[in-house]
Amino acid sequence: MELLQGTLDMLVLRTLLHGPLHGYGIAASIRGASREALEIEFGSLYPALKRLEAKGWIAASWETSEHHRRARYYRLTPPGRKRLVEERSRWAGFVNAVALVMDPLPKAKT
Amino acid sequence: MMLWNRLKYLSPARRRRQEREMREELESLAQIAGRRELGNLTLAMEEARAVWGWAWLDSIFADIRYAFRTLARQTSFVAVAVVSLALAIGANSAIFSFADALLLRPLPVSHPADLYDVSYTTPDNALEGMSFPDFRDLGEQSRSLSDLAAYRLTQVAAASNPAAPAQIRFAVLVSSNFFHAIGVAPSAGRDFLPSEASPAAAPVAIIGDAYRRQNYPDRSPIGATLRLNGIVFTVAGVTPPSFTGLDRFVLPSIFIPLGMAQQLEGEPSDPLADRGRHDLVVKGRLAAGVSPASAQAELAAIGAGLARQYPETNRNRRLAIRTELARRVRQSPRLVSLVRMLMGLVALILIIACSNLANLLLARARTRGREIAIRLSIGASRSRVVRQLMTESLIVALAGAAVGLFVAYGGILLLGTLSVPSDPPSFLGVEMDWRIVGFSLLVALGSCLCFGLIPAWHTARADFASALKSGGDGASGKRRTLVRDLLVVAQIALAMLVLIAAGMFLAGFRNMLVQPPDFRTDHVISMDTAPAVVHHTPARTRAFYRQLADRVRVMPGVAGMAMAESIPLSPSQSILTVVPEGYQFPKGREKAVVLGGSVDAGYFSTMNVAIVRGRAFTDADRDTSRRVAIVNQQFAKTYWPNQDPIGKRIRLDSPTGPSAEVVGVAQTGHYLQVYESPAPYVYLPYEQNPRPRMTLIALAAGDAASLAAPLREMVRSIDGQVPVYNLRTVATLYESRATGSWLQFFQMVGSMGFIGLVLATTGLYGLIAYTVSRRVKEFGIRAAIGARRRDVVWLVERRGLTLAGAGIAAGALLTALAAPLLAASFPGLGVSSAAVYILVALALLAISAAASYVPARRAAALDPLRALRTE
Repeated sequence: MELLQGTLDMLVLRTLLHGPLHGYGIAASIRGASREALEIEFGSLYPALKRLEAKGWIAASWETSEHHRRARYYRLTPPGRKRLVEERSRWAGFVNAVALVMDPLPKAKT
Repeated sequence: MMLWNRLKYLSPARRRRQEREMREELESLAQIAGRRELGNLTLAMEEARAVWGWAWLDSIFADIRYAFRTLARQTSFVAVAVVSLALAIGANSAIFSFADALLLRPLPVSHPADLYDVSYTTPDNALEGMSFPDFRDLGEQSRSLSDLAAYRLTQVAAASNPAAPAQIRFAVLVSSNFFHAIGVAPSAGRDFLPSEASPAAAPVAIIGDAYRRQNYPDRSPIGATLRLNGIVFTVAGVTPPSFTGLDRFVLPSIFIPLGMAQQLEGEPSDPLADRGRHDLVVKGRLAAGVSPASAQAELAAIGAGLARQYPETNRNRRLAIRTELARRVRQSPRLVSLVRMLMGLVALILIIACSNLANLLLARARTRGREIAIRLSIGASRSRVVRQLMTESLIVALAGAAVGLFVAYGGILLLGTLSVPSDPPSFLGVEMDWRIVGFSLLVALGSCLCFGLIPAWHTARADFASALKSGGDGASGKRRTLVRDLLVVAQIALAMLVLIAAGMFLAGFRNMLVQPPDFRTDHVISMDTAPAVVHHTPARTRAFYRQLADRVRVMPGVAGMAMAESIPLSPSQSILTVVPEGYQFPKGREKAVVLGGSVDAGYFSTMNVAIVRGRAFTDADRDTSRRVAIVNQQFAKTYWPNQDPIGKRIRLDSPTGPSAEVVGVAQTGHYLQVYESPAPYVYLPYEQNPRPRMTLIALAAGDAASLAAPLREMVRSIDGQVPVYNLRTVATLYESRATGSWLQFFQMVGSMGFIGLVLATTGLYGLIAYTVSRRVKEFGIRAAIGARRRDVVWLVERRGLTLAGAGIAAGALLTALAAPLLAASFPGLGVSSAAVYILVALALLAISAAASYVPARRAAALDPLRALRTE
């Protein structure tokens, strides 16, 4: 399933709420959480990480993974947390609005 | 935060670190997840760099570097493009500098935009000055103008040391707050003090920087004495070099408080007390927050109040404020139309050059097609390709502007010589400054958009699959050449318009210039003297002139002499206010201001001005005899149509002024310009109308120029204080007025036509050469199956001539539409003669044939075997 425009940032922030992850870990986590429904291209995830980092919502540092590999771990910053709350309520509003239009399904005439 | 991050990224060290980190990070992730899993990392990195925000800057630098590399490989294209643009941009900049000097340049004061001109409008004169009492009242009553300055231009006899002979210089009589109001501070010394406005104050002067350089090259002028019209002044200050006065064409040398006017000019009454003397130019600075409209409303009310209070002097006068530009346009409508026409011509040349370049770029697109196709196919966006192509165009345009500045400089040097030899010299001030550079850049940018955008769009739109396959340009061949054909047709049409406009202009001038002068120019020399400025009373001035006339008459080498208030075509012409008897003036007007002046009895015979009816003045027309006048034919025609002017009466100055009887009619001549339309002129006898300044005209038995020194000496022997100026042969004056300065216009307009022609021809040649190069194979086949050389030549020629024919037809249509505009902008000049049309059309056809012949011959000379082997 393709991602809706502009939801990637929100997904990344939400994923990092559990704790720091490296770039590939984020992609894998989103994929897992969505039960493989959301296909996250690393090619588009990586620029998004850089964008969020530039905005100061996430921060990165080099750390060693559980498999003793060095990787760059991203974690949520306080402004990022605030942002996540905003994005979340905006998303909820959007879902509600779409639901109002779409539900209840008109009964198909037979 | 964001901005800071971006700015940090500008530092190369930081960029390197960030780049390294990114690579390390992706490397480590690749080890964790496997490279396949991560997908296209190059793209990801590229997009990540874009996030840092300066990628566009990088890509622009890359574009520029790439553009330079591409252009460096195509020297002939660059040379042709830069030269055509340089010609066009240079012509535009030169004409702009001319327009700037004539009309556009703001006053050399601080905040020129809020300094407004305040003047009267009367039924007789759209732009009349104010009197000093009116100026004073205005200053007291106006709230919308925060500062008001008044000044009047005059000429004085100036001597920087007592031993030197006095020279005539432009001086400005200024109100005491003048420099403060216009915001110009002296570069040395001080401004006038309020107390120095009084006539009783010690005379002080502020001098211009040019005058300081001439007369005090190695010492400070402050405190030095200066004799002006015989009065000793102390120099109090010097204006900065950038201050060239408030009038165009005049570079004032000396500034004097208005309070000195009466003493300086030796007037019997104080001109500052006379409400009827409307001769002050007034400038006002708009108070903060006041709109010009509300200032205008206030001024109109003040003007109406003054008219009610002083009906005698202020009846029918309306007070108005104008921007400086509006004043100049009103002052010299003729210049406006000249400038408009020249600007129009150079704009056409620019369009021709641009379409030329567009055509070159379209041709280049064919060779670039493959390169562009590759770029598109590996993922470059079309907008990116357009940007790349536009970068190249912009570089070419800027190079054109840079070279164009040299062309402009040449034009400016030529225009700079446009002046009339006069004492003091007139000052045009056409010069190269940052305004011209800015204008050139603007033109370059504008033309870059014109010539670059269409080809760039065209190229980027190309179907790259087929381009890659065929190695061609990708666009359908027919459409491509249609655009190019249209461009060439447009070029020829515009070139035709430029040539015909230039031709009409030149033919019109030629008609006037080949007319013989309507007065004697050979063997005569003229000399201006101003005895009045050294405080001669009117009686002594008369005595001086009588003495001078008597002595010159018997001078060796002099065959005759005359005196006149002004001689024809001299840049300063005297005027008269007259009321012709029986003439019904339009409502609100009661008198006419016409050219005219005092002449003595010898004038008509010495200057060879024909009297067509009645008689010339004689020595019997004395101050005690009946007042008489002579009018020219145009005056009689204007004011007494179909009537006999002899015996009619003219009142002088006002409807109640003295009346003079017309005793003769003189032939209409040219008074201000050789190209003027016939103007009314009134001659009055000098003895009845003595003037403070007269021009002496001596008729030489031999060489007129050799009389110069003896004449100067003669004046000195009568009164060493009297300044002599404008001493020159009438032939010199006529030359400079009638041909001299117009010669530069000839050259200018001529070179514009030439540039237009060259550019259009290059365009045609380029297109034909291109077509030939594309049809090499076809010509080879034709030759192989037996086409004669002549047939091939004709084949190519036919195409060139078809395009030229279409261009000429379009040009004729265009010119027919534009001709009324041209004629309207130059009444009496736009001689639209069929000869010009036919000549230009034939010339264009011939040149087009020649331009096509070169590639045609090349096509015919092709070796069929070699031609078939190409491609």
